[in-house]
This record gives sequence, structure tokens and C-alpha cells, in this order.
Amino acid sequence: MSASLIEVSQLTKQFGSVQALSGLTFRVLPGEIYGLLGPNGAGKTTTLKAIIGLIEPTSGTVKVEGFNPTINSIIVKSKIGYIAEKPILYDSLSSRDFLEFVASIRKIDQKTVNRIITQLGEAFDMSKYFDAPIATLSTGMKQKVALIASLIHQPPILLLDEPLSGLDAKTSRIIKDLLLLHIKNGGSVLFSTHIMEVAENICTRIGIIYQGKIIAEGTLEQLKIKTGNKRQSLEEVFLKLTNEETEISDKTRLLGEAFFKNETA
Amino acid sequence: MKLLEAWRLSRQPYKEVVYRSIAEERGRMWWGGFGRGNYGTDQQNDLDLTKKALRIAKWDKLMVAIFNVLAAVIPFTAQFFGSPIIGLTSAISLSLAVTFGFTALYAIQTLSSFISTESSVLLATLPLKPEKFSLITIFSFVRSVDYMVVGSIVSQVFLVAFYTGSPFAVLLMFVVSIMNGILAVATALWFSGVFTKNLFRGGRSRGNTALRLLFILMWGSLLMGVSLLISLPYYVVPSVESFLINSSQLSTLILCLFHPFSAGITIANIGHPIASGFTTLISSISLIVYVVVSGFSGKWILKTVKQISHGTNIKLTRVTAKDFSIKTRKPLFGFVIKDLKISSRNPATAFFFALPVLETVIMSFLLANFEVLRASTLLVSTFMGGIFVLLMPLALLNSEGAGLEYTKSLPLGLNQIILSKTLISVLTYLPVPIVLFIMAMLKPLTSPLTLLIPIFILLAVASASVFEIQLFLIIVTKGKISALVHDLKKLVVGITTLLIPLVAYSITYLVSFSHIFAVLIMGAISTLELALAIYLIRQNKK
Repeated sequence: MSASLIEVSQLTKQFGSVQALSGLTFRVLPGEIYGLLGPNGAGKTTTLKAIIGLIEPTSGTVKVEGFNPTINSIIVKSKIGYIAEKPILYDSLSSRDFLEFVASIRKIDQKTVNRIITQLGEAFDMSKYFDAPIATLSTGMKQKVALIASLIHQPPILLLDEPLSGLDAKTSRIIKDLLLLHIKNGGSVLFSTHIMEVAENICTRIGIIYQGKIIAEGTLEQLKIKTGNKRQSLEEVFLKLTNEETEISDKTRLLGEAFFKNETA
Repeated sequence: MKLLEAWRLSRQPYKEVVYRSIAEERGRMWWGGFGRGNYGTDQQNDLDLTKKALRIAKWDKLMVAIFNVLAAVIPFTAQFFGSPIIGLTSAISLSLAVTFGFTALYAIQTLSSFISTESSVLLATLPLKPEKFSLITIFSFVRSVDYMVVGSIVSQVFLVAFYTGSPFAVLLMFVVSIMNGILAVATALWFSGVFTKNLFRGGRSRGNTALRLLFILMWGSLLMGVSLLISLPYYVVPSVESFLINSSQLSTLILCLFHPFSAGITIANIGHPIASGFTTLISSISLIVYVVVSGFSGKWILKTVKQISHGTNIKLTRVTAKDFSIKTRKPLFGFVIKDLKISSRNPATAFFFALPVLETVIMSFLLANFEVLRASTLLVSTFMGGIFVLLMPLALLNSEGAGLEYTKSLPLGLNQIILSKTLISVLTYLPVPIVLFIMAMLKPLTSPLTLLIPIFILLAVASASVFEIQLFLIIVTKGKISALVHDLKKLVVGITTLLIPLVAYSITYLVSFSHIFAVLIMGAISTLELALAIYLIRQNKK
């Protein structure tokens, strides 16, 4: 068994009376794209934040290439390229200013960083937006800036929280291809999403997270086997595993009664 | 929709903006996540967060209101101790000028939170007519300055009633005070608008940077106006008075045309005619014009607020980048450059960069009056300069805003943040020793060793900045609710650090009558403070 790049074991996180994570365990291996798939509030963002060391777990351990993010926060952060769910950047800086700041903090060689930024900038059609204040950019453009910033130090691990939300089809495709290239070169990707299509298309393995726990894990095929129907889509597999199928039909019925009662009467 | 109804409805957007600007912004600024020992308890109790945010907003409003009322009253103190007639014209004019300056400064700081496309989301979905939408938005802003405006109106009206005893003068003062507030808000709105438009234009033009610098200097002049407060009753009021009531001077006639002097002359002459008939006539006509202008300004404010809220006033120009090249620096300098850029581009913090100008002017004024540069003069003037600099680290910390969320994911320690902000603060203080050295070349010193005083204060400024930031970090890493702290506590720590070497000098001199000994003790104390600051920084590394 190869050494994991990320190892999460029995992770719990309590926010006051809210239990965000309860005994979460999974591993991300080199050369794989691990998709953390779960409904809103399942604990995906909390998991990613604990891995990069932005929040301290209540109990359990996280290891990134063997380092604990709580103790070796700087080492861990230098190994990871992270994109938060909402691209919150410094609004008054331009993309150029922002990337200069990130590259300086990450101590990247100027020649290398300029080569990477030029390639990514051209791929993402950034030229019209490169010197504009980030405040004036659309969510998608901000996401692109955050993405470039997460890639400029060529990290072995990419931690992406809903990375494709707000992006156009062309950029989404470029990113998917980029992620595949990244794992071909030995890197690994952990990303969270609630979009089944994305998980279905690019994930090597999928972990279904529900109420702060991994309730099922494996390749798409393995997950289908678990539900006993190989023809099911990932959405159906997901709803079955999270027991949300019955709930959905109940709620749809209630909503139908509330909104369309007059028309149907 | 009636005004009262709009006022009532504005309560909700006001609370929302207070929550966003204090709780959400500073809560997101929660500094946990810099590694071991810097996590705290992330309780995520939004209700407590909101309550505390509203309490802080109320406290801030009260403090600003008290300061504003004091500023409005100080010009009248000369009257109280002398003749009630001499100086009334200038007292009214200067009281209005000072409240105008304060209101405009405060509005520049807070207006952008209340009037933006983001803050209007709550109202935008409701079926409201555009003008009512603007009225509610502007009322939500008025709620943030209500104590301040009511305080200055009541104090100015009361003082005019006390000194003139004329109901007409009181009525006119009431109208003028409101007009003054409207003109101040309009000026702030225009100022912020031009600044933001310049910023949004984007590109890498040096012209845009120069224009922003010009605005920062204009804020500096506004600040300088406020700093003149301390000398208002003794120096400014009598000289302005002689200018204002002497009709033979051309300067008087020119001043009559400008607000707030036209108001001062007109109101003061109702109770006790002292200026010539011609001067009073010109002032009255000017005042009428200003009242009309303030009416139009009010309409303009409503229209502009509507445009900003709907995002129709922003014209973006996309300048195509010629290349994607960037310039990398050492991490600390990268952080310093980032700090300088974000704080100088934020209307609420940019004027702090005018502090060196302010310090230089204050120092020059204070020292120019003395034949010999005594140690006491040097102590007082260096301390005055230092006080202003202590605001800098706090402004830099606050300007991090929501962007800090990203910075926390970068491989950097707290020390880089502390050092960057301390370095900028020390640089801001540099004009003080420079001016002192220049003055020392022009004027004799009681002891040449006293020239070391500003150097030691420079060390104290560095230590004070480190202590302020460290205290800030200790408090804000405890949890999101603790992150909503008053800046006052940190300022007290900073001022105390600055005061200790000065007090040490004074006590040693009083005991030993030796400048050499006093300077040495002062140097030892400020070095000790710096050593403590360095120790704290090293502790962060562990």
C-alpha cells in the first residue's frame, strides 16, 4: 500500500452545540482525485479547513505528507494549493498585485512564477482583468484568480472546495484537464462538491460524507455495487446511501400541496 | 411613504449593515488558524456576535458624538470667559467648520458600508419606488450618525440661544446646523465617489496613483483642521474674529461668501449687530444661497445613493494587460507592499497615510514658537507625533478585512504580519525625528544629547506597535466573539509604552538635574521595551 498524502483519522469538530464532524476517516493517495461528496452542511468545508490547518480539530488526527497541520502549519500550507468555497480575496488589489503578494509569501522564483502565470493567464483569458481591482471581477473571474494563486507554487496537493462553482463551461473543462495532468505528475487532489456530474466525471475515488462521517467510500463502480444496482447514476447512489430518497418524495409532495393546491383543485 | 415610516423601516438595514461591517467582517477576520496556540474557541454563536456588534456600534456612536459635541462647544469657550459679543461670529463659524470636518470624516469612514450594492440587497428585492429605496438607505446611514448630528445641533442651538437670546437666531442656527450636516455628507459622498471611481478604473497608470495620493493629502488637510481644535479658543478665534467683522478688509468680504463664515456673521449679527450692514447683507445672501444649495445637495445625495445601490454609477474600463509578469519580493516586503496597497486604496484607512504630513505640521508649529529647543519641548512634540502613529497598526490590522481569510491559508507566521505593520508604523513616524534634526540646526538646544530623544521615541514607537498588534492577536485568536474588540484597549497599551520613557526622562531629570543622565535612563527604558517586544516576537515562533 502506498503512503497517503493526506490521512484523516477519527476526526471530530464541535462548534458549540453543533457537531460538524464526528469520527471522519479517509486517506488520499498519490495520483488520485478524491471527491468528498455530500449535501449542504455535511462537513465538507470543515474537513478541508482542518486539513489545511485553518481550524483545530476537537479530536482525531490529520496528517499531510506525515505532518500535523496544527503543529507544522507552515510546512503543511506550503505543500497545499487551497481554494476556499467563496473566493474571498483582497478586493482593492488587482489580480497582478494579489499574485505578486502570494508568490512573494511562497518564496517562488520569479522566472518560474512568471512562466506559470503567463500560461494560466492565457488559458483563462485573464488579460482584460489582470490589472482590474478584484472587487470589480465576477465570481467566476475571482475563482480563476484564486485558482492561479493555488497553482503557482506547483503544490503536490490541491485542496479545492467546490472549485467549479461559478465557472463557465470552457474554464471548467480546462480545470478538469489540469487536475488530470496534476495527478499524472504524481500529485493528488481532494475536492469537495455536491455536484454529482463533476464527481462522476473526474474522481478516482469518492467519499460520501453525511452528518460529519464518511458513510461510503470507493470508486463509482464500488459505490454502485454497495447499493446493489450497477445501472444507477451517482445521484441515485448518493440519495440511497444517505437515505434521502424517501425524504425527497415527502417534501416534494408537501411543496406541491402548498404551491399548486388552487390550480389542481 | 411618510418620513417617519421610512425612518422606522431603516432600522432593519441599519442593523444588517452594522452586523456585516462589524460582526461579519471582523468575525471573518478572526485570526485563528496560524498554527499551534492560535486557534481559540470557534463557537460560531451568531446571535452573540450580532448583539456584541450592535453594542460596539452604539458605543462607537456615543464616543464620536461626545467628541463632536466637545468640538462644537470649544469655539464658544472664549465667549464664556470674556465678552459674549466679541468672538461670537467666529465661534459660530468655527463650531460649524469643526462639526462639518468631523461629520465628513466620519461619513467617509462609514458611508461605504451603508451605501453599496451589497448592503442594498436586503431592500432591493422589496417592491419599493427608487426614491423611497434611497430614502430608507440614507436613513439607515443617518442612524449611524444620529447621536453625533443631534448632539452638535442641540449644543450649537443651545449656545446661540444662550449668547444671543434671539428666537430668530436660534431658528436660523437650527436650519444652518442641519444644512451643515447635509453639506458634510454630500462632500463625503462626493469624495468617496471620486476615490472609488479612480480605484475602479484599474490599470497600472501612475496618474491614478498620483491622484489617490492627492486625495490622501486632502484628507490630511481635513485632519489638520481638526487638530487646530486645541488652539481654537486662544489663537484661532480672535484672529478669525478680527478678519470677519472688519468690513474694510477685502478678506472679510471674501469670507462672507463662504460657508460657514456667512452663517456665523448672519446669526451673530441678529442679536448683537457688530459687522457693517454691507457685510451682513452679503453674508445673508450667501447663507440663503447655501440653504438652497444644501436642498439640492440633499436631492443629489438621494439620487447618488440610488445610483450606488443599483450599481449604475460605476463605469468600468477594462485595460488589456500587455503581459502577465509579476515582481516577487522577500516575504516580509511582499507583505509590506500588500499592506500599503490595500490600506491606501480603502477610503476608510487611506487618510492614515496623511499622518506624516500632519505630524510634520504639528511639530513645525510647536517648535517654531520657541527660541531655544528645550528638552521639555522635544518630549512634548515627539510624544504628540507618536500618538498619531499609534493609530496606524490598528488601521492596518482592520484593513486586512475579509482578505485575511485567504492569507491564513498561506505559509506565513504571525511574526511576518507583526513586523510588516510595525515597519510601516515606524516609517510613518520618521518625519518627526527628521523635522527635529532640521529644527536643531536652526535653533540652539539646551543639551546636544537631547537630540537622541526622538531616536529613543522611535524605538518606543516600534515597541508600542508590536504590543498593540500582539494584544490584538491575543484577543482575536480567542474566538470570533472576542475578535470584536474595542481599539481603545490597544491604544491605551500603545500610549503607555510611549509615555514610560518620557516619564523616566522627566523623573530622572527632576531628581538629578542632569540631561545626560536623563537621556541615558530614557535610552535604557526604551531599549528594554524593544527587548520585550523582540522577546514576544520570538515567543510566537515557538
